[in-house]
Amino acid sequence: MLLFALGCGQANDSEKTQSKKTIIGVTMLSMQNEFIVNVSDEIEKKANEAGVELIMVDAEHSPLKQVEQVESFIAQGVDAIIMNPCEVEASSPAVTKAVAANIPIINVNSETSAQPTAFVGSDDRESGRIAMKFIAEKLGGKGNVVMIHGYIGQAAQIKREEGAREILKDYPNLKLIAHQTAEWDRAKAMSLMENWIQSYSKDINAVFAQNDEMGMGAVKALTDAGMKDKVVVVSIDAIPDALQAVKKGTLDATVFQNAKQQGRNAIETALKIIKKEKFEKQQLIPFQLVTKQNVDGFTR
Amino acid sequence: MPFIKKLGQYGIIIAFLAICLLLSFISPRFLTLSNWTIIITQVSINALLAFGVTFVIITGGIDLSLGSMVAVTGVVAASLAHPDTYPVVVPVMVGLLSGVLMGGLNGLIITKSKVPPFIVTLGMMTIGRGLALILSRGRPISNLSNAFNFIGGGSIFGIPLPIFILIIAFFICHILLKKTVLGRYIYAIGGNEQAAQASGIRVNKVKMAVYTICGGLAALAGILLTSRITTGQPNAGAGFELDAIAAAIIGGASTSGGTGTMTGTLIGALLIGVISNGLDLLNVTSYYQQVVMGAIIIGAVVLDSWNKNK
Repeated sequence: MLLFALGCGQANDSEKTQSKKTIIGVTMLSMQNEFIVNVSDEIEKKANEAGVELIMVDAEHSPLKQVEQVESFIAQGVDAIIMNPCEVEASSPAVTKAVAANIPIINVNSETSAQPTAFVGSDDRESGRIAMKFIAEKLGGKGNVVMIHGYIGQAAQIKREEGAREILKDYPNLKLIAHQTAEWDRAKAMSLMENWIQSYSKDINAVFAQNDEMGMGAVKALTDAGMKDKVVVVSIDAIPDALQAVKKGTLDATVFQNAKQQGRNAIETALKIIKKEKFEKQQLIPFQLVTKQNVDGFTR
Repeated sequence: MPFIKKLGQYGIIIAFLAICLLLSFISPRFLTLSNWTIIITQVSINALLAFGVTFVIITGGIDLSLGSMVAVTGVVAASLAHPDTYPVVVPVMVGLLSGVLMGGLNGLIITKSKVPPFIVTLGMMTIGRGLALILSRGRPISNLSNAFNFIGGGSIFGIPLPIFILIIAFFICHILLKKTVLGRYIYAIGGNEQAAQASGIRVNKVKMAVYTICGGLAALAGILLTSRITTGQPNAGAGFELDAIAAAIIGGASTSGGTGTMTGTLIGALLIGVISNGLDLLNVTSYYQQVVMGAIIIGAVVLDSWNKNK
């Protein structure tokens, strides 16, 4: 019995020294967010395939927590860190600390003001431009638009709005008659849309919602009011629900942000850096417009 | 002095009517039937939660787990509400049961451990949020049956179903509080718990009942919300408890217990709904809505304590 235990211990020890497993620390903005969960699922999948050990943690929207998590990664001596930053400024110390400790850090999905080793994500301005461009073309460059914001002040909200407004400038006859936040929330967007229908009724020609959850809420309110046929609704993210709605024709279009590719490229870049291979410092993954014509390519 | 006691409640009715009057002058759309149908539908979820928490507040307690219970019950109901699986009563009953269980558990821990309700329900708030995420694996549950979606989205004689549910729930809660022995005990415990105990009221049983009712109403709100937005969302209902508590307090319920009415709470909930609807109609940003709401909450409590000290 004792011999057996000793034998076991020895075998384990030698195994450990022989193959020092690559360890990557991953901290994600929030595992309550479907899109983020899709990114992290892909990171996990690719890590399993590559035989890499992951330490995956959830920052729960708290940049402070995120910085502490990265500090603990550094203390554990991980080979690389993948961070999905909570905030542009507040998550920056994490990047600075990792760089100072000579541990490569890859930002995925959103940026920090401090320069990481590599960045993998998409430019949210582009998604706003694509969405508003679709509305402009659908309405022939003329009509009244309402915009539903995400949480005011978040990077995604600011950039999606900037992109949309860039397009509005090009179309002087396209008027933004109202805009308001629904905090990325479906129920809130539905209430907001109901109230807008009351105050503007037939004047609204199109709705741009900065994410699909809110777009779905707007669609619900318009459908209940019997107005969906007359109003164009576009949102961003291409969550499964929104893809179903595009297929059915209730949501006119959504903009696909490639969660899987972001996750995949993030871990691949991390592995390249660890193996000292060549890598791209800045990888922008393009958005794609999803309409009824091409939706089948996106539903899995 | 029943008149002075009631002044607080009249005060809120007057404030409510004044705000409605003001809004109907500023926005021609405000005082229309279709707008009011929308306001009351939007208010229904918060009102149900506020009715529940009113019982709790009158006993001198508090329930911070309302929003999480909305999420759990919504997710539970949604996961059983896919088309061609179970008849619609199954998701509704199991959803309600899950809320009743969580509320009952709140009550059990509060009465057995003597830990303040604030702490127990704070814990339950976090547990509930976690449970909702576990049960849904962090993803919204969609593709619900038409029958289920009818609860929050359907209409009978042109009146949305949530309005019927709201009215029925209001009358049941009102009668429970005003016309039954349980209601009298609830007030007695909030007024003076020791005295209530000494007079033979089984305080623990009443408290258990109160938190259980609150959980049941939260479940009803959760089912209504899930059906209205046709998805069960694990992060739904965050912060709902604060709106519900605000409605009860605006309506005259005192956090020190012993006072509060369902009518007051209903008006409190309507007031919150009217303000957010009115400011949306006027295209005022939600920042101002929050400032106005906060001022009204403080104003209502100041009015209340002013009346009491007179």
